[in-house]
Amino acid sequence: MKVTVMNTAQIARKTWQLTFTGSFPYGEVQPGQFVMIRIGSGTEHVLRRPISIAAVKEDRLTIVFRVVGKGTQWLSERKPGDGLDVLGPLGKGYPLPHTGAGVLIVGGGIGVPPLYLLAERVRPLVQQLDLALGFQTAADSFWIDQFASLGNLVPAADDGSFGKKGTVIDAIKLLSEGRSPKSRPWDYVYACGPLPMLKAVKQHFAGHKVQGYVSLEERMACGVGACCGCVCQTADRTAAKRICADGPVFDWNEVAL
Amino acid sequence: MKKPDLSVEIAGLRLRSPVMPASGCFGFGREYANHYPLRLLGAVVTKAVTLKPRLGNPTPRVTETSAGMLNAIGLANPGVEHVVAHELPWLAKQDVPVIVNVAGETKDEYVEVVRIISQSGLAAAVELNVSCPNVKAGGITFGTDARILQDLVQTVRKVCTIPLFVKLSPNVTDIRQLALAAQAGGASGLTLINTMIGMQIDIQRRRPVLANKTGGLSGPAVKPVAVRMVYEVAKVVDIPVIGMGGICSGADAVEFIMAGASAVMVGTANFTNPRACPEITAEIEQFMIEQGINSIAEIRGCIA
Repeated sequence: MKVTVMNTAQIARKTWQLTFTGSFPYGEVQPGQFVMIRIGSGTEHVLRRPISIAAVKEDRLTIVFRVVGKGTQWLSERKPGDGLDVLGPLGKGYPLPHTGAGVLIVGGGIGVPPLYLLAERVRPLVQQLDLALGFQTAADSFWIDQFASLGNLVPAADDGSFGKKGTVIDAIKLLSEGRSPKSRPWDYVYACGPLPMLKAVKQHFAGHKVQGYVSLEERMACGVGACCGCVCQTADRTAAKRICADGPVFDWNEVAL
Repeated sequence: MKKPDLSVEIAGLRLRSPVMPASGCFGFGREYANHYPLRLLGAVVTKAVTLKPRLGNPTPRVTETSAGMLNAIGLANPGVEHVVAHELPWLAKQDVPVIVNVAGETKDEYVEVVRIISQSGLAAAVELNVSCPNVKAGGITFGTDARILQDLVQTVRKVCTIPLFVKLSPNVTDIRQLALAAQAGGASGLTLINTMIGMQIDIQRRRPVLANKTGGLSGPAVKPVAVRMVYEVAKVVDIPVIGMGGICSGADAVEFIMAGASAVMVGTANFTNPRACPEITAEIEQFMIEQGINSIAEIRGCIA
């Protein structure tokens, strides 16, 4: 799909948001899905970059990404009116909770963006939504006000520069302690972030009766399930799952973390 | 003028177009069938199939390089039993010839898989993968020693009742020796080149980007090497050559045809653009119209 850049902005250290409009199946987007964006137009860059969908409105879609190399650098330099070649929406997103469920959303660093769309979709279904979002420092954080408007947010920073000093696990503990005895226990935990964080979150809820979903990331080539470049293993380690096509969101009991 | 004829005949196979996807870059076709009808292709070439299912190498196993990429997938596939039961019957309904890429760790494994594929009646041809750089056993060792290669092809030939292509590795001193060995063993045709062994280092973390350390380089970066090798091989063999290595456009494909290729395979470009194969086919047709070329044979190997 050929789309047009509406605007870009740097929103945190090395972190940018970009909104595009134009022909794209916006109505089909599920939270947790991603797009594959072509970098440049010649043959210098042969692989598209997979980037999660952070927000979608009628005819526009917003991504948030960290500049980590030449491809994302190029993307951060796009100007309003520039064209973009985008494939998507791709992959399988987060299954939504049942009405009235208790929901906790946990995000870390550049894993936070897709959780915004998820929080927006979850909000009308539940009475209370709890959010634990972790960043390295305050300078790495973004969209804090937007997330806070959707639920009960406890942010955390490793260096204590804002929110709770510590990791998302510390934020989750704070949320647990602050819960009223009458509020519904968490039925669903949705997480996205670095692998050690996902492991820690799953570990934290071991023995709890919650349905957990994690979004995984890996270097991708095709983005559609053909090349088998981005795989993870099933929990019993006997088979592979393609992160781009079978995921990126998985039941955390389904895959080896 | 009348429409140019893009069809080609290779080792008895009639292909509607000289363009087909390269093995490993197209899965078993299902994902790309969402983008266009597979009958627009000359053939579908499947991901490598082995006797038993393989998980492949640890990740990361793909990374981009300048004008190319490295992969170290490691022949991940669901195994020949699953492929014959679930993938080939679906492909057989797509109205396009199917070439099944076969890999193995031992001669016996190659023979067994080729026998099963050949007897299934669901494949138009076999492509023998003797050039995968990413597996510890088998693979490339069969493709770098002329004597071993000739013996393998000869043995496999006996159980293969359909055309047998041999995919050659560029990671050798003189690719012509391997091409001649495959021909002597009874290959119906040759496909080249597989990927070139490469490496990329993450200087911040001071470690290779790929978990396998090295991987196969593909994409536009390897194209001039591939064109040269197709040119060299086509000059010395009597069997058809299918060329590949970094083809991204109709012009790239025409280079390979002029160097001596009867048809071409497109790999990495499928990742850049899922519609690469039919677009490249249309560009070849456009070039033929502009130049007044009636058939692929007219320009094949026109470089002296």
